[in-house]
Amino acid sequence: MLEIHELTKRYQRKAAIDQISFSLKKGEIFGLLGPNGAGKTTLIRIINKIIDPDSGTIRFNGDLLQQKHLAHIGYLPEERGLYKQMTVEAHAHFLGALRGMSKTEINTSLNYWLNKFNCADWRKRRIQELSKGMAQKIQFICAILHEPDLLILDEPFSGFDPVNVELIKAELQEMKLKGKTILISTHNMRSVEEICDRVMLIYQSKKVLEGRVTEIRESQKTGEYAVRFRGNMIAFVNALWIDFELIDKEILSDDRFVARVKMRGDNSFEDLLKALIGQVKIEAAWEVLPSMNEVFISTVTTENDEE
Amino acid sequence: MRNSWIIAMRELKERLGSRSFILMALLGPLIVLTFTYLIFQFGGKEQQKWHVLIVDPANVMEQKIMVKEDPNIQYSFANNYIEIEQFAKEKRFEPYDAMVEVNEKILSNKTCFLFYREKPSFNMSINIRYQVERRLEEVLAREFTKLSVSDFRKIKQPLNFAFRNVYDPKNVTGDLAGWVGLFFGAVIFVFIFLFGMTILRSVSREKTNRVVEILLATVKPRALMLGKILGIGLSAFIQVFLWVLIIGFGLYLMRETIFVDMYDASNQIEGQVSDYNQFVELVFDRVQFGVMLFYFSLFFSAGYLFYGAFFAALGAISGSESDGQQFLIPLILILCFALYAGYYALENPESPWTTLLLYFPFTAPVVAMVKLSAGFTDGDAYQLFVALFLLLAGAILVTQLAARLFKNGLLQFGHTLRLKNIIHWLKVR
Repeated sequence: MLEIHELTKRYQRKAAIDQISFSLKKGEIFGLLGPNGAGKTTLIRIINKIIDPDSGTIRFNGDLLQQKHLAHIGYLPEERGLYKQMTVEAHAHFLGALRGMSKTEINTSLNYWLNKFNCADWRKRRIQELSKGMAQKIQFICAILHEPDLLILDEPFSGFDPVNVELIKAELQEMKLKGKTILISTHNMRSVEEICDRVMLIYQSKKVLEGRVTEIRESQKTGEYAVRFRGNMIAFVNALWIDFELIDKEILSDDRFVARVKMRGDNSFEDLLKALIGQVKIEAAWEVLPSMNEVFISTVTTENDEE
Repeated sequence: MRNSWIIAMRELKERLGSRSFILMALLGPLIVLTFTYLIFQFGGKEQQKWHVLIVDPANVMEQKIMVKEDPNIQYSFANNYIEIEQFAKEKRFEPYDAMVEVNEKILSNKTCFLFYREKPSFNMSINIRYQVERRLEEVLAREFTKLSVSDFRKIKQPLNFAFRNVYDPKNVTGDLAGWVGLFFGAVIFVFIFLFGMTILRSVSREKTNRVVEILLATVKPRALMLGKILGIGLSAFIQVFLWVLIIGFGLYLMRETIFVDMYDASNQIEGQVSDYNQFVELVFDRVQFGVMLFYFSLFFSAGYLFYGAFFAALGAISGSESDGQQFLIPLILILCFALYAGYYALENPESPWTTLLLYFPFTAPVVAMVKLSAGFTDGDAYQLFVALFLLLAGAILVTQLAARLFKNGLLQFGHTLRLKNIIHWLKVR
């Protein structure tokens, strides 16, 4: 769907992105991660042809990316921008027309999305009359109005309340099922875990990590397990003895806990269960994978240390 | 181009719907009409009193000028030739403030000179011009046609009546029509400044509220810039059109009600040959509004495009709306200089500097209007087209450079604008 090959962009002498390559497949949600100033926005702007790269190529469905392809790309920038004096309808018509849509197509699509997001009665209202969250919704609708094949979202969840965050997530999942490709740049790691198929981490203009979310988390696991149990905490600790190490615990109620445990020596998960059975009542037990937040922090910290 | 047009239409709709546009469309013409009324109604109250000697050796005017005497102008006639030097130096001509030279060729070349000692007031020059020309029309109508004077006036060619200083007869100063040209030129620059500022504010606002990023993801920076200039330019054109319409209607109303033209057939009393009306003389007879408006449109469009690109680029490279103000000052100074150039052209229409200023794109719109209304000398009319061509070429060049600044500066936020930034962005393709 989108192939990016050794893309480089420099501002005077400083590289904003340096030799970055990756590809997006049709029907996947791809997370673009990185600390502030890593080069995410520059990369997104280059894909949107807002700025030109110094070197490297971008292919859209096999062809070198051209201005005509922009009609198939939707973009929601981090800094939201709407004409405050215009009505929702006029705004949609303006941006839809720029994307090459006819009036009928715009009306049909606008009706569909306004109804879907429960905001059909906002149609004639001016943007300045809407709350920030409402305006965010309208901006999201304007970005997907032309049903783009590739949707690029820069911090799509910022400014939304939890209900609307879920609404947007559900919509993105639905679009993915329809075969749309979605590129999300975000600092919201929980969302990344929930909806992204693959991610790429940029740090100081360079790609430092890329892969499937589950594989990345799997690759960085530290052999920790979690056990949710009912019983006595002392009995649990005694059962661990010297074969296992208690790392952390969470008290759910007087006799209900979640404990995080690490193996010592060659002990396995089965050995842990064997040791605990009979001492406490196990409700659930699972292997703890690092969160994407932890992956992010550890990768960035490692890169920093290496420098 | 399609996207530029969509952007232009959005800009146009926004401008047409704004209160300031409607206010300016109504107030502007009303102010112009009020000033016009005040000038013609009260401008002549403190009139000069002149004694004018008409040197008419061929007795073309038959020692007659007006049926009703003008209390401020006393005419005397001389039937012998009088040289300019004689008039300037000899004591016997001292009582006369001006000498009008009417020779036998006037009936064919329609050229007449007035040599003054002190520059006549606005009203005085209009009155003398009017009275002499009306008398000549009577003679021309009687000598060469079978038409009545009023019918003759409808088909006549204007008299080339040049006012010159008797002590410096070769220094040709601009005449009244030139002032009208300067007015047209000033209108061009007022509109360019007002609508240029609109471009600057519009671009700055889009930068501030970050709409620009969404737009740039769809259209090229050049298309965005052209769309903005075009849309705001169209609103300026509509504004001008409304001004012309309202002012035109207002002038017509004035002619019909306040400054009634006695030469109009419907107003003419049988046997009464002449009375004068300086309003009708200057506004309806002297200025060729059709030609002026045609060239006004051309020079306004090209001038707006030329300056509009500067304003758009300035809006794009500014870090904030207030940041652009400091770089606006040189632009305002250039606009002021252009107005001065227009005045210079009015005072020195034949100076080589005037020709240079006519060709200089920054000053061309005003100077062209002044030159056009004052009239080009024979064989020099091509200068107008050269000026227009150079202005258009300049506009294209400036648009190219401005587009580069626009592209490179548009996504720079929060910086303090420095000259080195501008130079750097001009270099980056």
